[in-house]
Amino acid sequence: MMKEFKDISNKSPFKVPDNYFEEVKRKIISSTSGYSSVTKKISSFRKLRPYLAVAASIAVLVILSYTFIHIFSSGKDKTGLPEITLNEFSDNYLNDIDILTLEQSAGTIEPDMAWIEMTSKDIIDYLVLENIDINDIYEQL
Amino acid sequence: MERNNPDNDIFELLKTDVNKGFRLVVERYSSKLYWHIRRLVILHEDADDALQNTFINAWRNIGNFRNESSMYTWLYAIATNESLTIINKRTKNAAVSLDDLGSYFANSHEGSTWFDGDEAQTRLQNAILQLPEKQRIVFNLKYFDDMTYEDMSKVLNTSVGALKASYHHAVKKIENIITNG
Repeated sequence: MMKEFKDISNKSPFKVPDNYFEEVKRKIISSTSGYSSVTKKISSFRKLRPYLAVAASIAVLVILSYTFIHIFSSGKDKTGLPEITLNEFSDNYLNDIDILTLEQSAGTIEPDMAWIEMTSKDIIDYLVLENIDINDIYEQL
Repeated sequence: MERNNPDNDIFELLKTDVNKGFRLVVERYSSKLYWHIRRLVILHEDADDALQNTFINAWRNIGNFRNESSMYTWLYAIATNESLTIINKRTKNAAVSLDDLGSYFANSHEGSTWFDGDEAQTRLQNAILQLPEKQRIVFNLKYFDDMTYEDMSKVLNTSVGALKASYHHAVKKIENIITNG
Protein backbone atom coordinates (compact mmCIF):
# COMPACT_ATOMS: atom_id res chain seq x y z
CA MET A 1 0.00 0.00 0.00
CA MET A 2 1.32 3.36 -1.02
CA LYS A 3 2.31 5.43 1.99
CA GLU A 4 0.78 8.82 2.44
CA PHE A 5 3.49 11.25 1.61
CA LYS A 6 3.59 12.64 5.14
CA ASP A 7 4.58 9.19 6.32
CA ILE A 8 7.53 9.15 3.94
CA SER A 9 10.76 10.04 5.66
CA ASN A 10 11.89 13.62 5.07
CA LYS A 11 15.48 12.47 5.38
CA SER A 12 17.26 13.17 2.12
CA PRO A 13 17.58 10.16 -0.18
CA PHE A 14 20.52 11.73 -2.01
CA LYS A 15 24.07 10.61 -1.34
CA VAL A 16 27.33 12.53 -1.38
CA PRO A 17 30.90 11.33 -1.97
CA ASP A 18 32.87 10.36 1.13
CA ASN A 19 34.48 13.32 2.93
CA TYR A 20 32.68 15.69 0.60
CA PHE A 21 31.82 18.30 3.22
CA GLU A 22 35.37 18.51 4.61
CA GLU A 23 36.77 18.89 1.07
CA VAL A 24 34.28 21.50 -0.04
CA LYS A 25 34.77 23.59 3.11
CA ARG A 26 38.51 23.54 2.47
CA LYS A 27 37.99 24.61 -1.17
CA ILE A 28 35.65 27.42 -0.19
CA ILE A 29 38.00 28.78 2.49
CA SER A 30 41.01 28.68 0.17
CA SER A 31 39.16 30.41 -2.67
CA THR A 32 37.94 33.19 -0.41
CA SER A 33 41.05 33.74 1.70
CA GLY A 34 42.64 35.88 -1.07
CA TYR A 35 40.88 38.85 0.53
CA SER A 36 43.45 38.81 3.31
CA SER A 37 46.25 39.85 0.94
CA VAL A 38 44.30 42.96 -0.07
CA THR A 39 43.70 43.73 3.58
CA LYS A 40 47.44 43.50 4.24
CA LYS A 41 48.19 46.06 1.51
CA ILE A 42 45.77 48.50 3.05
CA SER A 43 47.17 47.79 6.52
CA SER A 44 50.68 48.66 5.37
CA PHE A 45 49.47 51.99 4.16
CA ARG A 46 47.56 52.61 7.35
CA LYS A 47 50.72 51.87 9.31
CA LEU A 48 52.57 54.46 7.24
CA ARG A 49 49.91 57.13 7.68
CA PRO A 50 51.10 58.44 11.06
CA TYR A 51 54.63 58.78 9.70
CA LEU A 52 53.31 60.62 6.68
CA ALA A 53 51.44 62.96 9.00
CA VAL A 54 54.69 63.57 10.91
CA ALA A 55 56.60 64.11 7.66
CA ALA A 56 54.01 66.60 6.44
CA SER A 57 54.00 68.37 9.82
CA ILE A 58 57.78 68.66 9.90
CA ALA A 59 57.77 69.94 6.34
CA VAL A 60 55.37 72.71 7.40
CA LEU A 61 57.47 73.48 10.48
CA VAL A 62 60.68 73.67 8.52
CA ILE A 63 59.10 75.87 5.87
CA LEU A 64 57.77 78.23 8.53
CA SER A 65 61.09 78.20 10.38
CA TYR A 66 62.99 78.95 7.20
CA THR A 67 60.61 81.75 6.40
CA PHE A 68 60.94 83.33 9.82
CA ILE A 69 64.68 82.91 9.90
CA HIS A 70 64.84 84.54 6.52
CA ILE A 71 62.69 87.41 7.69
CA PHE A 72 64.61 87.94 10.94
CA SER A 73 68.06 87.75 9.36
CA SER A 74 67.29 89.67 6.21
CA GLY A 75 69.72 92.48 7.11
CA LYS A 76 67.03 95.11 7.04
CA ASP A 77 66.09 97.31 9.93
CA LYS A 78 64.95 95.03 12.67
CA THR A 79 63.95 97.89 14.95
CA GLY A 80 60.44 97.53 16.21
CA LEU A 81 60.13 93.91 15.22
CA PRO A 82 58.85 91.97 18.22
CA GLU A 83 60.94 89.17 19.55
CA ILE A 84 59.12 85.90 19.40
CA THR A 85 59.84 83.05 21.73
CA LEU A 86 59.57 79.41 20.76
CA ASN A 87 56.52 79.00 23.00
CA GLU A 88 54.75 81.93 21.35
CA PHE A 89 55.64 80.53 17.97
CA SER A 90 54.22 77.14 19.00
CA ASP A 91 51.04 78.63 20.40
CA ASN A 92 50.34 80.84 17.41
CA TYR A 93 51.46 78.76 14.51
CA LEU A 94 51.46 75.14 15.43
CA ASN A 95 47.94 74.71 16.84
CA ASP A 96 47.01 72.17 14.22
CA ILE A 97 50.13 70.11 14.55
CA ASP A 98 50.60 67.43 17.19
CA ILE A 99 53.41 68.94 19.28
CA LEU A 100 54.11 65.70 21.12
CA THR A 101 54.62 63.89 17.80
CA LEU A 102 56.96 66.61 16.58
CA GLU A 103 58.99 66.55 19.78
CA GLN A 104 59.34 62.82 19.60
CA SER A 105 60.46 62.98 16.01
CA ALA A 106 62.74 65.98 16.36
CA GLY A 107 65.68 63.90 17.46
CA THR A 108 65.34 61.32 14.73
CA ILE A 109 64.88 63.38 11.61
CA GLU A 110 67.56 65.76 10.44
CA PRO A 111 66.25 69.00 9.03
CA ASP A 112 67.12 68.81 5.43
CA MET A 113 66.64 71.24 2.59
CA ALA A 114 65.04 68.33 0.61
CA TRP A 115 62.06 68.27 3.03
CA ILE A 116 61.27 71.88 2.25
CA GLU A 117 60.73 71.02 -1.39
CA MET A 118 58.65 67.84 -0.74
CA THR A 119 55.12 68.11 -2.12
CA SER A 120 52.10 65.79 -1.79
CA LYS A 121 52.95 64.42 -5.20
CA ASP A 122 56.43 63.57 -3.96
CA ILE A 123 55.01 61.69 -1.01
CA ILE A 124 52.57 59.78 -3.21
CA ASP A 125 55.31 58.91 -5.69
CA TYR A 126 57.40 57.62 -2.83
CA LEU A 127 54.62 55.39 -1.60
CA VAL A 128 54.07 54.00 -5.09
CA LEU A 129 57.78 53.12 -5.26
CA GLU A 130 57.28 51.37 -1.93
CA ASN A 131 54.72 49.17 -3.72
CA ILE A 132 51.65 50.69 -2.11
CA ASP A 133 48.73 50.45 -4.56
CA ILE A 134 47.87 53.91 -5.97
CA ASN A 135 44.12 53.22 -5.59
CA ASP A 136 44.61 52.47 -1.89
CA ILE A 137 46.38 55.83 -1.53
CA TYR A 138 43.58 57.77 -3.18
CA GLU A 139 41.01 55.95 -1.07
CA GLN A 140 42.67 57.33 2.05
CA LEU A 141 42.81 60.96 0.81
CA MET B 1 21.47 43.08 16.40
CA GLU B 2 18.71 40.81 17.78
CA ARG B 3 19.39 39.52 21.25
CA ASN B 4 18.36 35.96 20.49
CA ASN B 5 19.93 35.72 17.05
CA PRO B 6 21.79 32.40 16.96
CA ASP B 7 24.41 33.97 14.71
CA ASN B 8 25.43 36.75 17.11
CA ASP B 9 28.79 35.00 17.60
CA ILE B 10 29.39 35.17 13.84
CA PHE B 11 28.53 38.87 13.73
CA GLU B 12 30.94 39.63 16.58
CA LEU B 13 33.73 37.64 14.96
CA LEU B 14 33.15 39.26 11.55
CA LYS B 15 33.70 42.66 13.15
CA THR B 16 37.08 41.72 14.59
CA ASP B 17 38.41 39.16 12.10
CA VAL B 18 36.47 38.80 8.89
CA ASN B 19 38.40 35.71 7.77
CA LYS B 20 37.71 33.78 10.97
CA GLY B 21 34.12 34.99 10.98
CA PHE B 22 33.58 33.77 7.44
CA ARG B 23 35.15 30.42 8.24
CA LEU B 24 32.54 30.04 10.97
CA VAL B 25 29.81 30.90 8.46
CA VAL B 26 31.07 28.15 6.13
CA GLU B 27 31.34 25.68 9.00
CA ARG B 28 27.83 26.37 10.22
CA TYR B 29 25.97 26.62 6.92
CA SER B 30 27.70 24.52 4.26
CA SER B 31 25.79 21.32 4.99
CA LYS B 32 22.35 22.95 5.34
CA LEU B 33 22.83 24.96 2.17
CA TYR B 34 24.14 21.97 0.24
CA TRP B 35 21.03 19.91 0.96
CA HIS B 36 18.72 22.78 0.13
CA ILE B 37 20.53 23.24 -3.19
CA ARG B 38 20.72 19.50 -3.90
CA ARG B 39 17.00 19.06 -3.47
CA LEU B 40 16.50 21.71 -6.13
CA VAL B 41 19.16 20.81 -8.66
CA ILE B 42 19.21 17.05 -7.94
CA LEU B 43 22.66 16.33 -9.42
CA HIS B 44 25.61 16.33 -7.02
CA GLU B 45 28.00 18.13 -9.44
CA ASP B 46 25.50 20.93 -9.95
CA ALA B 47 24.88 21.19 -6.22
CA ASP B 48 28.62 21.35 -5.61
CA ASP B 49 29.00 24.21 -8.13
CA ALA B 50 26.04 26.12 -6.73
CA LEU B 51 27.26 25.71 -3.15
CA GLN B 52 30.70 27.08 -3.91
CA ASN B 53 29.23 29.95 -5.93
CA THR B 54 26.93 30.72 -3.01
CA PHE B 55 29.80 31.15 -0.59
CA ILE B 56 31.93 33.09 -3.06
CA ASN B 57 29.00 35.42 -3.62
CA ALA B 58 28.48 35.73 0.13
CA TRP B 59 32.17 36.47 0.67
CA ARG B 60 32.16 39.23 -1.93
CA ASN B 61 29.21 40.88 -0.22
CA ILE B 62 30.05 40.19 3.41
CA GLY B 63 31.11 43.81 3.84
CA ASN B 64 27.63 44.98 2.84
CA PHE B 65 25.81 42.53 5.08
CA ARG B 66 23.92 44.35 7.80
CA ASN B 67 23.56 42.33 10.94
CA GLU B 68 20.01 43.51 11.51
CA SER B 69 19.19 40.94 8.82
CA SER B 70 19.45 37.24 9.37
CA MET B 71 22.56 35.45 8.12
CA TYR B 72 20.37 32.37 7.71
CA THR B 73 17.83 33.94 5.32
CA TRP B 74 20.51 35.93 3.51
CA LEU B 75 22.50 32.79 2.70
CA TYR B 76 19.42 30.81 1.75
CA ALA B 77 18.40 33.58 -0.64
CA ILE B 78 21.81 33.50 -2.34
CA ALA B 79 21.77 29.68 -2.49
CA THR B 80 18.28 29.65 -3.99
CA ASN B 81 19.30 32.12 -6.70
CA GLU B 82 22.42 30.11 -7.53
CA SER B 83 20.30 26.96 -7.79
CA LEU B 84 17.84 28.66 -10.14
CA THR B 85 20.74 29.88 -12.28
CA ILE B 86 21.97 26.33 -12.67
CA ILE B 87 18.50 24.95 -13.37
CA ASN B 88 17.89 27.60 -16.03
CA LYS B 89 21.24 26.87 -17.68
CA ARG B 90 20.44 23.17 -17.65
CA THR B 91 16.98 23.71 -19.15
CA LYS B 92 18.60 25.47 -22.08
CA ASN B 93 21.10 22.63 -22.63
CA ALA B 94 18.76 19.77 -21.78
CA ALA B 95 20.83 16.66 -22.34
CA VAL B 96 19.27 15.10 -19.26
CA SER B 97 15.63 15.35 -18.36
CA LEU B 98 15.06 15.17 -14.68
CA ASP B 99 11.29 15.10 -14.87
CA ASP B 100 11.31 11.42 -14.18
CA LEU B 101 13.76 10.79 -11.40
CA GLY B 102 12.83 7.16 -11.21
CA SER B 103 14.02 6.23 -14.67
CA TYR B 104 16.94 8.65 -14.41
CA PHE B 105 18.25 7.06 -11.27
CA ALA B 106 17.57 3.57 -12.55
CA ASN B 107 19.28 4.10 -15.88
CA SER B 108 22.29 6.25 -15.17
CA HIS B 109 25.48 5.71 -13.24
CA GLU B 110 25.11 9.07 -11.56
CA GLY B 111 21.63 8.13 -10.50
CA SER B 112 22.46 4.78 -9.01
CA THR B 113 25.56 6.13 -7.28
CA TRP B 114 24.09 9.19 -5.69
CA PHE B 115 20.53 8.25 -4.87
CA ASP B 116 19.76 5.99 -1.99
CA GLY B 117 16.01 6.27 -1.54
CA ASP B 118 13.42 3.57 -1.33
CA GLU B 119 10.48 3.39 -3.71
CA ALA B 120 8.36 5.73 -1.57
CA GLN B 121 11.07 8.38 -1.45
CA THR B 122 11.58 8.09 -5.20
CA ARG B 123 7.89 8.67 -5.81
CA LEU B 124 7.90 11.64 -3.44
CA GLN B 125 10.91 13.20 -5.18
CA ASN B 126 9.26 12.61 -8.55
CA ALA B 127 6.07 14.25 -7.36
CA ILE B 128 8.00 17.26 -6.06
CA LEU B 129 9.69 17.62 -9.45
CA GLN B 130 6.27 18.00 -11.07
CA LEU B 131 5.64 21.21 -9.15
CA PRO B 132 6.33 24.60 -10.72
CA GLU B 133 9.79 25.81 -9.82
CA LYS B 134 8.87 28.43 -7.20
CA GLN B 135 6.32 26.16 -5.57
CA ARG B 136 8.92 23.41 -5.38
CA ILE B 137 11.21 25.76 -3.48
CA VAL B 138 8.42 26.67 -1.07
CA PHE B 139 7.58 23.03 -0.49
CA ASN B 140 11.19 22.02 0.09
CA LEU B 141 11.89 24.88 2.50
CA LYS B 142 8.81 24.06 4.55
CA TYR B 143 8.84 20.28 4.42
CA PHE B 144 12.56 19.49 4.56
CA ASP B 145 14.05 22.61 6.22
CA ASP B 146 11.06 23.37 8.45
CA MET B 147 11.55 27.03 7.69
CA THR B 148 9.00 29.49 9.11
CA TYR B 149 6.88 31.41 6.63
CA GLU B 150 8.35 34.66 7.98
CA ASP B 151 11.89 33.54 7.14
CA MET B 152 10.74 32.14 3.81
CA SER B 153 9.21 35.50 3.03
CA LYS B 154 12.67 37.09 3.37
CA VAL B 155 14.37 34.36 1.34
CA LEU B 156 11.91 34.51 -1.55
CA ASN B 157 10.77 38.13 -1.21
CA THR B 158 7.15 36.97 -1.24
CA SER B 159 4.32 37.63 1.22
CA VAL B 160 3.61 35.16 4.01
CA GLY B 161 0.04 34.73 2.81
CA ALA B 162 1.13 33.77 -0.69
CA LEU B 163 3.64 31.29 0.70
CA LYS B 164 1.07 29.61 2.93
CA ALA B 165 -1.31 29.25 0.00
CA SER B 166 1.47 27.94 -2.23
CA TYR B 167 2.52 25.30 0.30
CA HIS B 168 -1.07 24.21 0.86
CA HIS B 169 -1.56 23.68 -2.89
CA ALA B 170 1.79 21.93 -3.23
CA VAL B 171 0.80 19.40 -0.58
CA LYS B 172 -2.53 18.73 -2.36
CA LYS B 173 -0.81 18.22 -5.71
CA ILE B 174 1.81 15.86 -4.27
CA GLU B 175 -0.79 13.80 -2.45
CA ASN B 176 -2.76 13.55 -5.67
CA ILE B 177 0.27 12.48 -7.70
CA ILE B 178 1.36 9.87 -5.18
CA THR B 179 -2.14 8.48 -4.67
CA ASN B 180 -3.03 8.32 -8.35
CA GLY B 181 0.43 7.25 -9.54
